[in-house]
Amino acid sequence: MAMEMQHNWVDVTDTFRTSCTELKLGELVHDQYFGLFEAMSAIEMMDPKMDAGMLCHQSHLVMGFDKSINAGKLKKRNVLMPELIAIIDDTYACLVTWLEGHSLAQTLFTNLYLHKVHDVDDRQVKAFSIAMLKIVDILREIVSRASVFEEEDFQPLTYGFKMAADISEVRTIGMVKEIEDDIQKIVKSTRSKQGENRDAQTTAQHSEASALYTRLKFTRLLFVTLAGLNKREDITSTVGDVKKYLNQCKELLQSMLTSVDLGVQPVPTQDTSSTVTYPTVMGFEPLVNQRLLPPTFPRYTRIRSREETLVYLDKLMSRVEHVCNVVGCSGFHGVLDFMRDFSNRESCVLSRSVLQMLYMPADKMVYAVTPIAEVLRETARNFICPPALMPKSSLANNPLTKEHVDAFIVQATRPFRALLQITGNNRARQRDKLAHVLDELSNLQDEADKVDAFLHNLLIKSEPQRQHLACFGSWVLCHVIQVMIQYLLLGFELELYSPHEYHYIYWYLYEILYGWLISVLSRADGFCVEYDAFVAEQQKGRNKKAKKKKRQRPYARDITVAQAYQNLSGGLYKALAGFQLEGRQKKPMFEFDSEQVRYEHRFGPFGSVNTPPPVPFEQCQALLKVAKTNFVVMKLLASGHKGDSKEPPEFLFTPHKAFPIIRIT
Amino acid sequence: MTSSTCKSLQNATRFLSEKSELRTVLESFLNKTMKIKMSDGRSLIGSFLCTDKDANLILGNCQEYIHPPEMEPKEEPRTLGLAMIPGHHIVSVHLDKVTEDEPRIL
Repeated sequence: MAMEMQHNWVDVTDTFRTSCTELKLGELVHDQYFGLFEAMSAIEMMDPKMDAGMLCHQSHLVMGFDKSINAGKLKKRNVLMPELIAIIDDTYACLVTWLEGHSLAQTLFTNLYLHKVHDVDDRQVKAFSIAMLKIVDILREIVSRASVFEEEDFQPLTYGFKMAADISEVRTIGMVKEIEDDIQKIVKSTRSKQGENRDAQTTAQHSEASALYTRLKFTRLLFVTLAGLNKREDITSTVGDVKKYLNQCKELLQSMLTSVDLGVQPVPTQDTSSTVTYPTVMGFEPLVNQRLLPPTFPRYTRIRSREETLVYLDKLMSRVEHVCNVVGCSGFHGVLDFMRDFSNRESCVLSRSVLQMLYMPADKMVYAVTPIAEVLRETARNFICPPALMPKSSLANNPLTKEHVDAFIVQATRPFRALLQITGNNRARQRDKLAHVLDELSNLQDEADKVDAFLHNLLIKSEPQRQHLACFGSWVLCHVIQVMIQYLLLGFELELYSPHEYHYIYWYLYEILYGWLISVLSRADGFCVEYDAFVAEQQKGRNKKAKKKKRQRPYARDITVAQAYQNLSGGLYKALAGFQLEGRQKKPMFEFDSEQVRYEHRFGPFGSVNTPPPVPFEQCQALLKVAKTNFVVMKLLASGHKGDSKEPPEFLFTPHKAFPIIRIT
Repeated sequence: MTSSTCKSLQNATRFLSEKSELRTVLESFLNKTMKIKMSDGRSLIGSFLCTDKDANLILGNCQEYIHPPEMEPKEEPRTLGLAMIPGHHIVSVHLDKVTEDEPRIL
C-alpha cells in the first residue's frame, strides 16, 4: 500500500470499561443504522468454531517455506527416497481431497514445497512439485471451462499461488523423465543377479527406487493425459492414445498400492486436542494457509489416507476412460443419452467436466469442428424427417423455408446446449436446472408450432398430399416430456417426496407423461415410415435396385421401454391408491398440511409448458375419486357382491367429464 | 405551564442527563476507528459499532493483525468484516483521535 493510514491512538480502555458498566442489562449503545439484526452476522472472536485466526496461535508455531528451511524442519536438498515417496503419496492425497470439493489452501498448498518450487534444490522434489502444480492448473482449467460445478463440487480459487506458468509443458515432461531415468538406473543396478546374494540394504534400496520410479512415471503419464484432454481442438483421433495412457496409469497405480508402506509414516504429535491439524510428514503444514481462508467458519479438511487416494485415483482413471467412449456415440440424441447415463453412475466433477469438454471443446462447436446448430438440424432431420429438411421436397428450395428453419434452429441451440450441460451438474442441481430449462423449451415449442404451421401452408400449395404438421413441434415436445419425467424421477432419487405423495407422482407419470411420450414417439415413427414410403414411391419408376432398405419403425424399442415404465408407474399408483383406501398409508394432519399446496408445488415448474398441459389439482382429485370408487366397486364385484343382480350398471359423469363412476344396483 | 411543573421537568432533565453522561461518552465513540488488543495477543482495527454492559464490542470493516500493527516489519492484515469481541477477551481499547491540523493520510 502506497498510502498508509496514520493513526493517532489514544488509550481509552478505562473510560470505556467504566462507561460500559453503567449500562443496564440488555442495553446497547449503537448507531440508529446498526441494530440487533446486523449484529447477528458478526463473527465471534475467540470462539474456536467461528474464529479461524485463533487457530494459528494454538499449541505450535506455524511456519511457511522459508522459516521452515531456516529452522531446519524442511530439507532443501538430499531428500531421502522414503521421504520422497511419502511426500508424493501425501500430495496425491491432497489432490484427491481437493477434487472432492475442498479448498486448495487446505489441501495441496499445505505442501510447502509447492509454495516456492524454484527455491528447492533437490531435483527430484523440484521436478515432482512443478509437475504437480501443472497438473493442478490443467485440472482447474478443465473444470472451470466445462463450468458444470457449483461451490459444493469444486473450489477453483488458487489464493494467489504461482502455478509454474513459466515452465512449458515439454520442459516439465523432460524434467520428470530425466529423474525417472536416473532412478531407473538405481533400480537396474540394485536388481538381484543370478548367483549373487544381495545384502538387506541393497534389497531395500531396490524396492524403494522401484516405488519411486512408478510414482514419477505415473505423475508424468497423468500430466500427459490431462494435457491431451485439455485441448481446444478435435481430439476424437487422439482418444485412443488417451485411453492407452489411462490404462498404463491404472497399472502403475496397482504397483503403487503395494509400495505404500515404503514411504515415511507421519509421526503422531502429542497435541491431540486440535481438530484442524493432523500429523504429517516433512514438507507439510496443515495450518500454513489458515489466514488465507475467508473469515467464515473454519472448515475442517480431512485429508484422504494414502490407500484411499490410490483407490480413488484408480476409479477416476476408469471413469475418464469410460467418458472417452462418447466419441463413438451417434448423433445428438446418442450423446445426450450417454451423458444422462453417465450422470446416473458414480461420477465426479472432473469426469463430468472432461465429458463436456470432449464433446464441445470450443464454444458452440461440437468436437471443435461442427457448429451445434448443424448438429441440431441433423438431429431434427433424423428424428422425424420433416419435409422442410429433406431433399426432394418443394420446400427444400424455397428461401422462405430456409429463413424460418434457420431462425428456429438458432433459437433451439440455447436450450439444447443447456440440456447437455445440465447432465454435467450434480444430481441435486440438475433438478433445479431442469425446472429452468423447461421455461426455455416451452418458448421454443411455441416457435416450433408457428414454424410448422407456416411450412404446412407452404407445402400443401405445391404438394397437397403431404403434410408438415407438428414436425419440429413433436421433436421439442419429446424433449419437454423427457425433461419432465427426469424432473419427477430425480425427486425420488433425492428423497424429496414423502410416501403419502407417491400416488399422485406415479399417477402423473403413468397417466400423463409416459402416455404423451409414447404418442409423440409413435408420431415420429409414423412420419419416418411415411417419408420412406414417399421416397420409395418416387424411386419406383427410375431405379429399382437403388431402393434403400426400408426402416422398420425406428422407435419401436423406445416406445416399448416407455410402455414398460408407464405400466410400472401405473402399477405402483394403483397399489398406493389401494393402500390409501385400506387406511394403511399415513397421511399428515390436514390442519398443518394441504394436499393441494403440496401437489401444486411438486408440479410447479410444469406450469409454464403448454403441451402437455399441466393437470390442475382439482382435476387430479376428481380423477382420483373416480379411480378409488371404481376400485372399490370392482373389488366388491370380484368378491361376488350382488352377483345375482341383472340390473345394468349406472355411469355417473359428475366428477369427471370422460371417466365415469360405475354404480351397481 | 406552572412554575412547579417547570421545575420538576428541569429536574427530570438534569437527572436524565447525569444518568446518561457516560453513555454520551460511549456514543461519541460510535463509528470512530478503534484498535482492540485481544487476550491472545492479536489486534483488531475497525470502526466501533456497538457495545453493551459486559463491554462486548462489535467492530465493522475489521482488520486482524497477529502482531501489534505498529511493529516493523508491517504485516499484511486479514480482513474479517463484522466481528464481535467478547468483553472478557478485551485487553485494551484505543481510539483514533483525529485533530484538525493533522492530516490523516500521509
